[in-house]
Amino acid sequence: MSKPIPTTRIEPVEIMKPGTSSCQGCGHGIIARNAMKTFGNNTCFISVPGCIWITIQRSIPLYWTGTSFQGGAALLSGITNALQAQGNTETNVVAFVGDGGTADIGMQGLSAAAERNENFFWLCADNHAYMNTGGQRSGATPKYAATTTTPIGVASRGKKTWGKNLPFIFAAHHVPYVGTASVGNVNDMVGKIEYAKDIYGFKFLQVQSPCPTGWGFDPSQTVKIAKLMTDTGLWPLYEVVDGTFHLNYKPKELKPVSEALKPQRRFRHLTDGEVSEFQEMASGRWEELMKLDGKPLPI
Amino acid sequence: MPHKELMVGNKAVAYGAMLSKIQVTSAYPITPQTTIVQYLAEFVANGKLDAKFIEVESEISAMISMQGASFGGARTFTATSGPGLHYMHHPMYGCRRPIVMAVVHRGGKSMQPDHTDLMAQRDTGWIHLYCEDNQEVLDTTIQAFKIAEDKRVHLPIALGMDGYILSYTAEPVEIPDQEDVDNFLPPFKPKYSLGTAIPYDEWKAAQPGGGYGTQEAWIEHHEHLMKSKKVINEVDEAFFKAFGRKYGGLFEEYKCEDADAVVIAMGTIASTARSAITQLQADGHKVGLLKLKTFRPFPGDELREIAKKYKAIGVIDRNVCLGSGGVVYNELRGALYDMDERPNVVGFHTGMAGKEVTPDHIKHIAKKTLGSLDEKVDKVEWV
Repeated sequence: MSKPIPTTRIEPVEIMKPGTSSCQGCGHGIIARNAMKTFGNNTCFISVPGCIWITIQRSIPLYWTGTSFQGGAALLSGITNALQAQGNTETNVVAFVGDGGTADIGMQGLSAAAERNENFFWLCADNHAYMNTGGQRSGATPKYAATTTTPIGVASRGKKTWGKNLPFIFAAHHVPYVGTASVGNVNDMVGKIEYAKDIYGFKFLQVQSPCPTGWGFDPSQTVKIAKLMTDTGLWPLYEVVDGTFHLNYKPKELKPVSEALKPQRRFRHLTDGEVSEFQEMASGRWEELMKLDGKPLPI
Repeated sequence: MPHKELMVGNKAVAYGAMLSKIQVTSAYPITPQTTIVQYLAEFVANGKLDAKFIEVESEISAMISMQGASFGGARTFTATSGPGLHYMHHPMYGCRRPIVMAVVHRGGKSMQPDHTDLMAQRDTGWIHLYCEDNQEVLDTTIQAFKIAEDKRVHLPIALGMDGYILSYTAEPVEIPDQEDVDNFLPPFKPKYSLGTAIPYDEWKAAQPGGGYGTQEAWIEHHEHLMKSKKVINEVDEAFFKAFGRKYGGLFEEYKCEDADAVVIAMGTIASTARSAITQLQADGHKVGLLKLKTFRPFPGDELREIAKKYKAIGVIDRNVCLGSGGVVYNELRGALYDMDERPNVVGFHTGMAGKEVTPDHIKHIAKKTLGSLDEKVDKVEWV
């Protein structure tokens, strides 16, 4: 399993140039900058429409290409096979794709690529909705979240269902590496990328990146919110290496979920009962994950 | 030595791809294209073809993965039919990578062939080449890589072949020697790709379609596609020198020397028309065949040039643009509009949804076209 690596210890080559087109306070810059430092210069990357494309498009001077929303995994499959056909096994082949391009429109192609165990690294920059097009709900949006397509009204409490459990979906494809990470714990994320990048086959890392614009909080609070999401158990940090589950970050005691939910405008309509529902979900899941720690997943 | 084998069209196209030494291929099965995928998988499994075969889950992934592989510096090939082609439409649009794709025609209202599938992709910026027999299918596959990868072109090519009539019908096909194909088609050296390893800034500046977001991007793409006509003709000539067979490049005039009228046909209908025209000429009718091989870029200027020689042109459309009519008929009439003395252009649809097209049908079409010189024909006929 991976070990956290302080960013100061990775090779201090800044690949990403300063300045991006992202919103103020966007966590995607943290992901892209540290990921590129870890992958290094011998990297080819792709993106599909979404916030992360906006973050990287003029900032990373390496070979890259993009495609239509659903096509990220097919594009990467083509690239990685072309490189292998030419005897190149050194170049990192990386996707920077959002939660919509992963959980929704991109799911079919990505599931197929996972099943084929294509040799690439899929980095999902997850901000819980289609923030790039104005904050519409995605398959990764949590229950009760207010989005522009699940607004709060007399007949609506926000999104009706929980988001998809993407890491478990991909772990069930028998791939060598699946993990979760957060912009609130960069050392953990860097450690995971460094550990997984040289594994042959399909690598999936879902990095939670709280969105000041869509979630509704002050742009100075992005990292703080991200930390609260992991400290409350709303976003557990774990990895599945060759089918074995490891919980990477285990606070002695979880904070109450209300501490993470309250500062977010998208949850401000929640009743005490709805907050309790969140709490039960998070606590129950945490208990199950603790039991799984160090064990093979039954998939 | 080149040798002949009896083979179906799908095998001919797979042979063409193998002889072209494709490096990455990917396709999703759909009738009547399916056996192309099987032949390629078999060639790879038997070690006859050293290529990566990506077993994708859909046509759209087949198309996009080929674009990724081409970006990665590999020679790439895929194939599909009808609905699968429509599913590829979005990523086909505006694609600037030298991919070759076989389209085994399957119309929208049956599993049988007509050209509505590829015609629906006419605005996507690809080069469209139509084939009339299995030899032409194999040869055009090799030609297509040569055209697509030419540095002046660097565009994707769709190669049309009628489903069933070619895909599942065996004909004797001459298989060229690998060495001769290697000489004709050297390894793929992409102009811009991951493999070219030119400095990033230079690479970025040289990317085609760099004007994204501007009207100029459309102008550049359109003009670039139109310029490929020269290369299409050159490659056909070069192929003739190397292998002794040619297909006309943009189009071929067959037995047109003394013709007052010509019939325009594409795909296998051109093959049927050859025998019909020969019989008609034996009976004293002054009518020839104009086989349209390249539909995109549309050879409007070139057709206008030769149209001066004829008094009437009958156009056979194995397609219909719903709400407008025959695509070739309308485009040809548009191309000829500026002539001082225009020939009659008479329109026909036939062969739709796999409807059988016989020499008698062609004879009727040819006679009616000739007849337009005496009596005006102002209605398009479904034959």
